[in-house]
Amino acid sequence: MMLKRGQSSSFRPCQWIVFITLICLFLPTTLAAAPRKNAKKKAPPLNLPPLKTQEQKMQLLGYIRSTMPTRRIARSISFSSADLDQALEQELGPTSQAVFAKTIDDETFIRRVYLDLTGTLPTPEKIESFLSSQNRNKRAALIDELLETNEYARKWSKYWTSVIFYDSVANKNRVNPQALEDWLAEQFHKGAPWDYITVMLISATPQRNKAVRNDYGQKYGPNNFVLACENKSTELASQTARIFMGISIKCAECHDHPFDNWKREQFHELAAFFHPYTYKMPDADDPTVKTVVKPRFLLGEKPHEKMKSDARRVSIAAYLAYNPKNYWFARAYVNRIWSELIGDGFYDVDSLGPDSDVIHKPVVNRIAANFRYKNFDPKWVFRLIMNSNIYQREMRTMSSTSELFTAVRPSRLRPDVVAASVEKLTGHDKKLHQEIMQVFDINPSLPQGALEGSIQQALLLMNNTTLQSKLSQSELKQKLIKINSNEELVQTLYLNVLARHATEQEVQRNIEYLNESANREEAIDDLIWVLVNSTEFRTKR
Amino acid sequence: MHADAILHLNLNRRGGVSRRSFLQSASLGITGSALLNQFRLNAAELKKEGRSCILVWLAGAPSQMETWDPKPGTPNGGETKKITTQSPGIEIAHYWPKIASVMNDIAVIRSITGKEAAHERGTYHLHTGHRMLGIEKFPHFGSVVAKEIGDPQSDIPNFVSIGQTLSSGFLGVQVAPFIIDRPGQLPDNVFNNTPTSRQQRRLALLSQQESDFADAGAAALVKEQSKLYQKANLMMLSPRLKAFQFDNEPTTMKEAYGKSQLGQGLLVARRLVEVGVPFVEVRSGGWDMHSNVFKGMERRAPDVDQGLSQLLIDLKQRGLLDKTLVLCMGEFGRTPKINARPPVPGRDHWVKNFNLLMAGAGIKGGQVIGKTDENGQEIVDSPVEVDDLFRSMCHAMKINADMELHTPIGRPVKLVESGTVIKGLFG
Repeated sequence: MMLKRGQSSSFRPCQWIVFITLICLFLPTTLAAAPRKNAKKKAPPLNLPPLKTQEQKMQLLGYIRSTMPTRRIARSISFSSADLDQALEQELGPTSQAVFAKTIDDETFIRRVYLDLTGTLPTPEKIESFLSSQNRNKRAALIDELLETNEYARKWSKYWTSVIFYDSVANKNRVNPQALEDWLAEQFHKGAPWDYITVMLISATPQRNKAVRNDYGQKYGPNNFVLACENKSTELASQTARIFMGISIKCAECHDHPFDNWKREQFHELAAFFHPYTYKMPDADDPTVKTVVKPRFLLGEKPHEKMKSDARRVSIAAYLAYNPKNYWFARAYVNRIWSELIGDGFYDVDSLGPDSDVIHKPVVNRIAANFRYKNFDPKWVFRLIMNSNIYQREMRTMSSTSELFTAVRPSRLRPDVVAASVEKLTGHDKKLHQEIMQVFDINPSLPQGALEGSIQQALLLMNNTTLQSKLSQSELKQKLIKINSNEELVQTLYLNVLARHATEQEVQRNIEYLNESANREEAIDDLIWVLVNSTEFRTKR
Repeated sequence: MHADAILHLNLNRRGGVSRRSFLQSASLGITGSALLNQFRLNAAELKKEGRSCILVWLAGAPSQMETWDPKPGTPNGGETKKITTQSPGIEIAHYWPKIASVMNDIAVIRSITGKEAAHERGTYHLHTGHRMLGIEKFPHFGSVVAKEIGDPQSDIPNFVSIGQTLSSGFLGVQVAPFIIDRPGQLPDNVFNNTPTSRQQRRLALLSQQESDFADAGAAALVKEQSKLYQKANLMMLSPRLKAFQFDNEPTTMKEAYGKSQLGQGLLVARRLVEVGVPFVEVRSGGWDMHSNVFKGMERRAPDVDQGLSQLLIDLKQRGLLDKTLVLCMGEFGRTPKINARPPVPGRDHWVKNFNLLMAGAGIKGGQVIGKTDENGQEIVDSPVEVDDLFRSMCHAMKINADMELHTPIGRPVKLVESGTVIKGLFG
């Protein structure tokens, strides 16, 4: 039931034509975000097919998608990584050329790409074979190869699950983040388009099964976005806007947004969409006074008055993903992936204030538009960015906005990636895994620049008894002990822990350490300890 | 009672001596270690007269009518009886005989009125003083205290929580809660059996490795990271760490607090306050009594009754109560009307009126503030909003409640939006 363009629908045309007309005709003529109060004629009666099941909903949405105006344009459009580089260089201006960081070498590239696409480090064998390959397209080929792995799907499903659940205050018995993660992994693996994934999440209407204790339909993965929002209209409104449009309208729940166009009423009109019955907005001063608010999407789209709540969920998904004027939808995805890959976004991922906060807006908007032309194919975005010069530059921490994207920001690895890096050395240990996940936990929606480490992290990597003893008994350690050549020992160490060769200086330094140590085995433990405690070990360089 | 370990260590409350002696030991033979050489230990600043706060959090929201506002003999009163206390005229529920015996030090507030009837939201409101509405994550009050009163150079964290709690929100990692799960033991991973000389060689090599990575473009990350390693190292070497560990605590004292996790947690809290930690939270769970509230109380109350009363006695005996604010509360109250939930009725969520205890830090004990009607349905005297409560907490800690905090996007927000200090609370 994936949304394919031009896929034939089992609905009879006359039924959904009414619906499509509704959706298309009420698109706004301007983008002014202030609410309008036009007197509307009485709506004609609505003759919709049943939209109870997810399948029925997706069929209708599939039809709406196939009529998107972008379909025609898409045939004649191409936007390559080279086009992206050119567009951004133009934006950055001629002076930026001088400050562009150098292009990374193959070794840095393979580590970076592995971390970004699979959340794991490449093996020494993989590194060696990549370095020795004479294929001129080997970087692009590696990106393609990794995009087809299960690890890619798993890494990004973990990321999005964390985005959805990080701030959720839902009762843990009523949600199942793992089911969501598994479902997302399946989708990412088979290359499901982002709009399909999104509309599945937004239009879900989980039912409570009263016969079974704690069964809120959470076992079915896509139900968990709605459940993470406690199926509350206000929470669904703010999370939908935040995660799928990249805009922050939550403050508008209580007052007009202090910096943006969003008005308090607009927030509640959006919330009304998700409400099963009549939505009432509490008065700003006296919460006991409530006024009825009609559902209306952020760009002014209004659902048919007689629409039932299931159908309203379908229509909000349609307005979100398929209104061509809603460029926020495509841009939010692009900006998230860009932020994760480059270390900085065109704006902070989920807190977009006024549009002027978007830097290099023409560039991000072009990527977003092309993402739409490419059927919202998530892998296309990765290919575009990762094959560009932008992505393949050396790291540097940029402090001013004007410098952004002249280099890649060194980024903290997410908890699952730190755990995987550790487990590569020690093997799996449930307790240690949980401890790392907890101690290295970070909000996936905060910009890298706002993240900080903790004393607990340092203490864990320095002293954790399980970790220390496992490292000391590890396969790597056993391997290192057997190596007679100090230089080879150091190189093997660096390749296994940091996934790169040691520099000449590093080789010298480590050999010196070995030579000055009375106990060689202990010295090897020390060298492993040093690398595991290095900032590089927990950083994407 | 034995003189405690801290005196043997010849420490003052801010650990000043410990640092000096650490510096003496640290100055031996570590000149090669750039990481250790970066330590810059300023003299401990005696801030805000060494005030501290201990928050006893009853997670799940205890019933006001089974705690400090019993209504026996009324339709809503249920099985709960009331008992007299050390303070004539103050009566509390019969589950709390030991609290009754230290009532002279406690102010009971019976007229808190909240706004959030869901656990997470209520917990947020009563921990931060703000409702969970905007995108900003407001800091735990403990983080505010750690920032305002704590010593930034401290060798142990300025905010310790025994059990998971809220985060420092937008105030960041420097004042984040340091969470421990097993009271009476050293925190996880602070112990390292590597001999000092070997550890110093490791750190020296690490510091070179770090400096290469900084040169390669990660200077900002490396700088922050080495700060954390310094702090972690300081903590590992801190004599104040002993405050976490009960090795030298007399058995009589451990028993006085009760053997429960909560009791032992409160003993850790006292020990931490004693060595200058400005904020400690101790959690007790299981107060969400939708059913079986009376039996539930009989099960839950004794641990808190014993631990909390002993904490007050102990703090007072040590002369610490004058500067230590003790708070005991949950996220909201429970319906005065007993529900019909099978098999055994209980009470549901209720925010209109609930209660809490405050003691120490200048608070006048042996008094009740606020009053509810006969059936416990309405506040009939001196309602106290959450803002009033937070203003009073700030007052006790000598923190300016009107100060502005800055969110990551630079928006100034008031520490406490409105309200007034609770009238008559301070003597």
